[in-house]
Amino acid sequence: MKKTSRVAYNLWRRVQSWLTIFELSVQERLVYRGEFFLGALMRFLPIVTQILLWAAIFEAVGGVTQARIVGYSYRQMVAYYLLTMISRAFSSMPSLASGIARDIRDGNVKKFLVQPVDLLGFLLLHRVAHKVVYYVMALGPFFVIFYLCRGFFEGWPDGSVISAYILSLLLAFLLGFYLEATIGLVGFWFLEVSSLVFVFMLLNFFFSGHMFPLDMLPEPFRSLVALLPFQYLAYYPSAIFLGKVPAETVWLGVGVQGLWTLAAFVTARVVLYLGVRRYSGFGG
Amino acid sequence: MGRAFRVILTCARNSLVRELMFRTNFIIVTAASLLWVCANIAFYLLVFQYTPSIGAGTGWGRSQFFVFFATGLIINSIVHSVFMPNADLFSERVRTGVLDFLLVKPLDCQVLVSFERLDLSTGGNLVVGVALLIFSLIELGWVPGVIPIALYVIYVVCGVAILYSLMFSLAATTVWLGRNQTLYDFWFYLTIFGRYPMEIYRGPLGLPLRIVFTFVIPVLIVVNVPARLLIRPLYPQTLPEWGLPLFALAATAGSLWCCRRIFQAAIESYRSASS
Amino acid sequence: MIVLETKGLTKHYRVYQKQEGLWASLRGLMRREYRTIEAVRGIDLQVERGEFVAFLGPNGAGKTTTLKLLSGIITPTAGTARVLGHIPWKRENAYRRRFALVMGQKHQLWWDLPAADSFRLHQQIYGIERRQFEQTRDELTTILGVRHLLDRPVRELSLGERMKLELVAALLHRPEVLFLDEPTIGLDVVAQYSIQQFLKQYQQKYHTTILLTSHYMKDVAALCRRVIVIVAGQVVYDGSLSGIMHRFSRDKIVTVVLSDGRPAGELARFGEVVSTEWPRVKIRVPRPQVTEAIAGILHSHAVQDLSVEDPPLEEVIVEVFSHAELSPRQSSTGAGVAKGRENSP
Repeated sequence: MKKTSRVAYNLWRRVQSWLTIFELSVQERLVYRGEFFLGALMRFLPIVTQILLWAAIFEAVGGVTQARIVGYSYRQMVAYYLLTMISRAFSSMPSLASGIARDIRDGNVKKFLVQPVDLLGFLLLHRVAHKVVYYVMALGPFFVIFYLCRGFFEGWPDGSVISAYILSLLLAFLLGFYLEATIGLVGFWFLEVSSLVFVFMLLNFFFSGHMFPLDMLPEPFRSLVALLPFQYLAYYPSAIFLGKVPAETVWLGVGVQGLWTLAAFVTARVVLYLGVRRYSGFGG
Repeated sequence: MGRAFRVILTCARNSLVRELMFRTNFIIVTAASLLWVCANIAFYLLVFQYTPSIGAGTGWGRSQFFVFFATGLIINSIVHSVFMPNADLFSERVRTGVLDFLLVKPLDCQVLVSFERLDLSTGGNLVVGVALLIFSLIELGWVPGVIPIALYVIYVVCGVAILYSLMFSLAATTVWLGRNQTLYDFWFYLTIFGRYPMEIYRGPLGLPLRIVFTFVIPVLIVVNVPARLLIRPLYPQTLPEWGLPLFALAATAGSLWCCRRIFQAAIESYRSASS
Repeated sequence: MIVLETKGLTKHYRVYQKQEGLWASLRGLMRREYRTIEAVRGIDLQVERGEFVAFLGPNGAGKTTTLKLLSGIITPTAGTARVLGHIPWKRENAYRRRFALVMGQKHQLWWDLPAADSFRLHQQIYGIERRQFEQTRDELTTILGVRHLLDRPVRELSLGERMKLELVAALLHRPEVLFLDEPTIGLDVVAQYSIQQFLKQYQQKYHTTILLTSHYMKDVAALCRRVIVIVAGQVVYDGSLSGIMHRFSRDKIVTVVLSDGRPAGELARFGEVVSTEWPRVKIRVPRPQVTEAIAGILHSHAVQDLSVEDPPLEEVIVEVFSHAELSPRQSSTGAGVAKGRENSP
């Protein structure tokens, strides 16, 4: 009895500290208001050039209504970019890796080694808070853009696809988080990880499908990219939504995504464990 | 004027000395930005696997487009190596209050702020840009004469000046906005409109954008004008076709003027944070 | 000759008031609250050529803001100032060539490069003739004992060494007026002392007009004959350092060394006993009663030795600050900090 109540108390304390971290993170975001609105709005500007660019390309191929490129109609192509923006809103982690590396370099990381707060847990909560605030703020602009662009979509997919899509998005968030966190934690070994971050960003940009639908890649690149985790950060959720993934393999794909996420989680944990051991071995 | 020039040279020399101290970093950044360019080239190569040109009958075939792309690369790499580190440093100084020291120097503050640092790590992009330009021109079998080349150089400089103005106007807003992480975002999102041939801006969505980004924030003419002047299909032959190049000169002057005004207003509102 | 003159110099800032709590932050998105800080409130000054003036005052009193106004970094809300015949915030090159600013908390030397490179840049910015540049550089670095550090990257130097080089950088163009904002902050005693000595010598030699703010009374006592106390943006005292004692210290410290065994406790009736290190006892006695108290002590105790001193300078200054902080704020309604609310644009 006593033991369970203590466990419950500890858990409650922990939840409370999580809530505080969450609240402080939210506040931190809100202080810079001007930036926030501008940032949320501007995120939609590139899509405009994509719409226009692809219109011009489809026109040269045979007209925006008839032409197909790797099975994508003009409307689907634009829809793909719009959906990719949602995927990216989940999976992108601005300044996560560089932030961790900086904390390690400046010694700020010590407080996590001293206080009973888990570094990765703290960062995850921090990130969730930032994302939540972002979604709340960006909901308006997102809604407006998708309403204006509703013509590019061919109606809602069925419930099973939608649920696979949502799960895939959540996994994309976790996958993105643990991948970037791992890169940041490499900072325990190398002082400067910015180049690593850059290479990751580049791979991410090119192979996640952020830049173009991965179906456009010629073989053997298409098959190779399918073996990397990057496609789950942007391409895969969007492809599910657009019905580009055959119905029978949708859940299989989400399962593979789950495995990648698990692998990234374990890697981040192991790297953190080894990094801390190395760090304390040096005596800070 | 001579003094300002000597100061700029000394700053450049100091920057180089500094850069040589961090050689590994220099090499890594150079490699990374080259990779980035390669990724972009790969994307367009991929796109041209599926289409003969961007837009029907616009003349922007693969090689023409790569002339355009190379021009963008040249202009952007100049802006990024000369002005980006300075805009960054300027924001940082406004935030920390170290701008104080530049304000008490007997030299125009904007000159000091604009040219103090030099970051040659994106210089690799310039080399790639020039190489890609020459390669694409050879592929087209087009040898430009002296006048097109001279005009090209002049308009590349104009493009750099327009982007400089935009960048420093944005950086100056740090004075009012406090933190300015979105500086790069803003920069990225605005300049993205200059990345494509202006023909793609058509229809009810494109046309207003074309007008805004030509006349209000003239990023669209930065790359378009020099690239157009260099390649034959778009070479201006009649008097009305000279309208755009002439306007580009006016836009350059206007951008620089606006930037100057914004910069001065920013300095007037500067509060000098105490560390 | 008057080098520097201000009349009613005033600077107000408007700052965003950060709200506590989540909901307040959310509200802050819609409507921001601003607070006006009256950093400097009508300062009148006259400084003669060759004076060495110290600004004293608690944190946030407006000392640094005054220096920033005088160097033209910021523009005042009201009032006028003339330094060397120029209005500072016009930022004319003719003016900027003639003064220098050193801040203990901000550095201008290139962090990764040797100071020599930054110096060369200064030479060109100020257009200093080469021979004069080299002569000044060598002279100043020799006096400060940092000549051998010129070719080492600044980031490898200690704070004291860096500060000395910052000083040299500021003096390369031989400014006629020098503003020093806490030049010795964070330095160890040795570095503090050597910078003090340097400033003293330098000022004696070149008769530069120097305005200094510092938290270290030792700096002030060693260097400045004239002291200006600024509290809450206003000048509350302008005069000699010893004058502060006369004006603000109402007490004297009487130290007696007793030779008999009578309890020191009895001495409490002459004043507050500050410390007792038997047989040495220190008593704080109000100034007008000093004579009376001495007579009383001599009468009631066997005294081996007796001395009368001013209380420590720091102590008096603290008293001046706290004293002055009350009076002007009470006189002006709004308590020096006006609150305002505004809808955001």
